[in-house]
Amino acid sequence: MKPLSELQQLFCDALRSSDSPPQALLDEIEDDGLRIERFNVYRNNFIVLNGDALADMYPVIKQLVGDEAFRMLATAYVRTFPPMDRALLLYGEAFPDFLKGIPELSGAPYLADVARIEYAWTAAYHAEDATRLDEVQMVNIPAETQGDLRLRPHPSIHFINSSYPVYRIWAVNQGEPMDDVISLDEGGSHIVVIRPQREVEVREVGLGELRFLESLASNETIGSAYAHTLESVPDFDLNRFFAEHLFDGTFCAIEP
Amino acid sequence: MQDTINTLGSVAAPVPKRAGAGLKPKHYQSIIEQLPDIGWFEIHPENYMGRGGPPLHYLERIRADYPLSLHSVGTSLGSHLPVDLDHLKKLKALVDRFEPGLISEHLSWSHGYEWYTHDLIPLFYTEETLSLIVEHIEQVQDFLGREILIENPSSYLQFKQNEIPEQVFYVEAAKRSGAGLLVDINNVFVSCSNHGWSIQEYLSAVPHELVGEIHLAGHSIQDLGDTKLRVDDHGSPVCQEVWQLYRDYINTHGTVPTLIEWDTNIPEFPELYREVCFAEKFLQTTRDRYDEAIV
Repeated sequence: MKPLSELQQLFCDALRSSDSPPQALLDEIEDDGLRIERFNVYRNNFIVLNGDALADMYPVIKQLVGDEAFRMLATAYVRTFPPMDRALLLYGEAFPDFLKGIPELSGAPYLADVARIEYAWTAAYHAEDATRLDEVQMVNIPAETQGDLRLRPHPSIHFINSSYPVYRIWAVNQGEPMDDVISLDEGGSHIVVIRPQREVEVREVGLGELRFLESLASNETIGSAYAHTLESVPDFDLNRFFAEHLFDGTFCAIEP
Repeated sequence: MQDTINTLGSVAAPVPKRAGAGLKPKHYQSIIEQLPDIGWFEIHPENYMGRGGPPLHYLERIRADYPLSLHSVGTSLGSHLPVDLDHLKKLKALVDRFEPGLISEHLSWSHGYEWYTHDLIPLFYTEETLSLIVEHIEQVQDFLGREILIENPSSYLQFKQNEIPEQVFYVEAAKRSGAGLLVDINNVFVSCSNHGWSIQEYLSAVPHELVGEIHLAGHSIQDLGDTKLRVDDHGSPVCQEVWQLYRDYINTHGTVPTLIEWDTNIPEFPELYREVCFAEKFLQTTRDRYDEAIV
């Protein structure tokens, strides 16, 4: 008799495979002439349960490629990258890169970046909570020392920097499909995904705002982040950025 | 929050012997706005293991008005691999924060490697797996400092190695580990139908004093020529046969906290609520007959 570990692994291998279940496993299953069909209920559940989790996370990709193609992609993804976590909340992290590697999708090179927005949306949704930086916390900080401090973006923040107009593609595919024509020649887009309170926000931003937030998120001081940003965007308007975002929940703390 | 659990095992908000519903995100808003007359709600704790965000916020609001049950799907009690301490810590954090009246897990396994099937795979009903699952249930209970309930599975195949009938294995696992039983009547119906077992034999092997909760759900039928395989997909109303088995069960034994599970093709809230009211009506009839109090 095979040890339990071997039997369970045999079952798992067959669950994940697309070939007919091996004889060694079938020999372990009571046979009423339907043991393959009975086993296939489990194989189907494995693909459908995890594939549905993927569909929940990537509704725009599903809309763009169509239900049938999405089902095939999800099946292949579940087999290649089975869930590594006991919770399914963030299952599908590798899906954007997976899409990039599918030869049939090479005509739609923007899909991976659209998928990155969708992953970021769910990750931001489940990210830890943080309170909004408010005016009182800033009051006693002398203006001349502010450059040496660190502004903490909300822990839910994610950045997407794409060569394609993926913000528009994502936005017109919220809800019912629209007839908008989007040309890939429109150019790239820079996106910040963040959940300042309850609602996840997907913001299309300028390159300066993206660079500045990225630098702050990687623990640079305000002064250093600003200097870095000016290197690629010389006309970045810091005052305007702060007027709009310093107290809108984009940040949760200011620290030495 | 250990102080809210006394040595008799009573908890801050016990789950009443009423009908409850599986809590679904698409219903959060309706529940918060309407505060429907439902005895309690049940969640899969794995869906609340994020670091923060709206789900935990909604759960907190709903928990303020209703008792709660945690029905875990991720412990994989029957796996040859050890129980994951990290998962237990996350489970314990939810138990401490939300003070559920009941905690339950399945008589099944879901991982053979480092990855998870997220489906509930049937056990090999042998002495070896019985000892293993008892050890794992004890570990979970010791870690949580609480008794848990074990749910009978629905299954589509049986292993040749099986040497113990499922209902005997199920009851024995609970008795040896000091756990209680969650009887899923739909699962009993599905498995007995799929394997040609006797429903009466199955249910009469279950000692009522160990039963802490009942589950009811819908299933679908897969047509395989002469054989019809019943698939437990929780995607439709409870079928007539299962309602009848449920009525018979509570008529014979008295009321038990009863959950309506609806996890796929989830309807709008009123349809789920109708099913809950249906179960509540049967419970009320039984309460009247036995002159029972609700809690």
